[in-house]
Amino acid sequence: MMTTTVSSETATGRVVRVIGPVVDVEFPRDAVPQLFNALHVPVTLSGLERTLTLEVAQHLGDNVVRTISMQPTDGLVRGVEVKDTGNPISVPVGEAVKGHVFNALGDCLDEPGYGSDFEKWGIHRIPPAFDKLEGRTEMLETGLKVIDLLTPYVRGGKIGLFGGAGVGKTVLIQEMINRIARNHRGTSVFAGVGERTREGNDLILELGEANVLKDTALVFGQMDEPPGTRMRVALSALTMAEYFRDVQNQDVLLFIDNIFRFTQAGSEVSTLLGRMPSAVGYQPTLADEMGELQERITSTKGKSITSMQAIYVPADDYTDPAPATTFAHLDATTELSRSVFQKGIFPAVDPLSSTSRILDPAIVGEDHYRVAQEVIRILQRYKDLQDIIAILGMDELAEEDKVVVQRARRVERFLSQNMMAAEQFTGLPGSTVPLKETIEAFDKITKGEYDHAPEQAFFLIGGLEDLERRIEEIAKR
Amino acid sequence: MAAELRILRERVRAVRSIQKTTRAFELIATSRIGRARSRMVSARPYAEEITTALAALGAAASNLEHPLLVPRQQVRRAGVLVVTSDKGMCGGYNANALRRAEELIALLHEEGKDVALYVSGRKGIGYYRFRGRPMVANWSGFSDQPHYDNAADMADEVVGAFLAGSDNETGEEGIDELHVVYTEFRSMLTQSAVARRIAPMDIEYAESPTAMPLYEFEPDAETLLGALLPKYVKTRLFAALLDSAASELASRQRAMKAATDNAQELIRTYTLQMNQARQAQITQEISEIVGGADALAAAGSEE
Repeated sequence: MMTTTVSSETATGRVVRVIGPVVDVEFPRDAVPQLFNALHVPVTLSGLERTLTLEVAQHLGDNVVRTISMQPTDGLVRGVEVKDTGNPISVPVGEAVKGHVFNALGDCLDEPGYGSDFEKWGIHRIPPAFDKLEGRTEMLETGLKVIDLLTPYVRGGKIGLFGGAGVGKTVLIQEMINRIARNHRGTSVFAGVGERTREGNDLILELGEANVLKDTALVFGQMDEPPGTRMRVALSALTMAEYFRDVQNQDVLLFIDNIFRFTQAGSEVSTLLGRMPSAVGYQPTLADEMGELQERITSTKGKSITSMQAIYVPADDYTDPAPATTFAHLDATTELSRSVFQKGIFPAVDPLSSTSRILDPAIVGEDHYRVAQEVIRILQRYKDLQDIIAILGMDELAEEDKVVVQRARRVERFLSQNMMAAEQFTGLPGSTVPLKETIEAFDKITKGEYDHAPEQAFFLIGGLEDLERRIEEIAKR
Repeated sequence: MAAELRILRERVRAVRSIQKTTRAFELIATSRIGRARSRMVSARPYAEEITTALAALGAAASNLEHPLLVPRQQVRRAGVLVVTSDKGMCGGYNANALRRAEELIALLHEEGKDVALYVSGRKGIGYYRFRGRPMVANWSGFSDQPHYDNAADMADEVVGAFLAGSDNETGEEGIDELHVVYTEFRSMLTQSAVARRIAPMDIEYAESPTAMPLYEFEPDAETLLGALLPKYVKTRLFAALLDSAASELASRQRAMKAATDNAQELIRTYTLQMNQARQAQITQEISEIVGGADALAAAGSEE
């Protein structure tokens, strides 16, 4: 890589410039560290001694390298001696990382010092070769009606949960951990990227209660960390997952909350690295950075990484470059929308813009495909009529359209469901609906078998049995 | 962003064209309502007079056994004539009339009677046809400007069925009662869907407290009533049609005014969103250009 020559553990340089998280370091002529090498530098701030980790990002020429700091650079001064470790940032891997919490640098957080003697892998790796990739497609059942029906998830695929601020991305991710990780016989890896620290804490406690913490490795670089860490924490978690996949031949679940923070961290340091800002102020290397990460999250023959990624959508604008670049990599995208959220329908999945690559009769079967398309058709028609209803009122619709609107309103409500993660808000225990029942239920509703039932009976319930019970309850009142 | 802007612009255009239509409907209804009201007002006395006269006659000559005056022993089939409009765009007008009709039909079914449907107005015809419910007869094409001939056509049909009765030898399906559901015009702001039984005659119409005149029949009562019945039904139906027409226009005027206002509100909201999107785009571009220029300048000064 580049023109670097010797990179020995003993090479030392000195700090020549510090701008926020970006640090320039000068090295002796023959000992310039390679790109992505981790450098260590001691810092003393108000009597507390720490070691900063820097990652080489650019070679500037004249033996100067530009690095990104993984910790706050408070107290760092010019001229301080910097040591090249000769290796990229490495994290512990293997069976023993399960049940523990790490940061992006691979230090154990719940038990300081734990894991320092484990086998370590560098976090920058090459994606699996094309001929090693898995070609098989299989659906992953979640028990959530709206997801199973309209955006069926792919086992071993990449799943994105898009949503603006506060429409329930994290709740849905937690719901998925509850639904999938609990029944999953394998390993889960959770990466907390730039989200609330409190949520990380809650998650650990919950996983402990559910007795799945022992099968889960957690890596956190939350919003209190500098951009360097938030850029790398997803890679650290991914490296652990790759070990489980490649060495232990396991099926791995990888949860990332929130991948947008990865892009955002990149954009925070991009200009400081001297790159010209591109569209909407993002880094010009946006698509490349995302591609490097996403290409590694993949399933190889016989073993899989199923990833679920929450993706924040700035200002609810899906055309923003950050979410737009992520779209192309995903097998299934679940979009959470504010307008659905405002109707009180949870999970607030937008049925018309959420899609899945496998919603195809050859994969999910004719019945599923037909019912899903019918649901979409009805909802689309309802949406088209919305302006007319707003202007002229329901009475002016043609008889056929009135029926469509009635059914659409029932379908819309039936797409909501009581969730496990929402039990603390609603007081209702979560429900799991088998795919077959979901398809049957929506088939019946779209065919008009429940046109007589009051709309509120369809709200926040599970399958057909729940529906029948609610209809009776309401009739009694 | 640009896509959003285009979509909003398109929606504003669509709403604006709907608004043009609703405003035209509003204006047409406004210009016709005066005439419709005066026709209705001038026709009402005839209907009232013929009703009181016949009721008084029935009360005076209680020995008469005419089906118009005395309910039949056994009522198997009741005729329901529903008056709706030909065109929509009149708010809840048709929905209310049809709901009232459904209530009446449910009541008749409860009493163990069959219902024969007679429908006037395309909206009503469409309603029953969509639900696959058979109609004995239907009429359309005159709902906002009815003529006496229209009422006469309808009356011929229903009077025939009424005189035949359900219990006849000819095998024709007649009716033993005739109800009419129409929309009564109370004022420009209130119109209500009502159901009235016009044959046999309802006692509530015979509530004149003054002393009854004594009638002498010339020729005989049977013939007289036979001639009066169609005239009576025609007049009542004509009055109902005129009431309905005035109600339809009033209802349309109000509904279209509301629709025009709603459209205005929608245009306002969409325009606001559109302007915000455009402004955001401009701000974005400016800050990108400025940022880029600054970055270039900074890169240049470093060397």
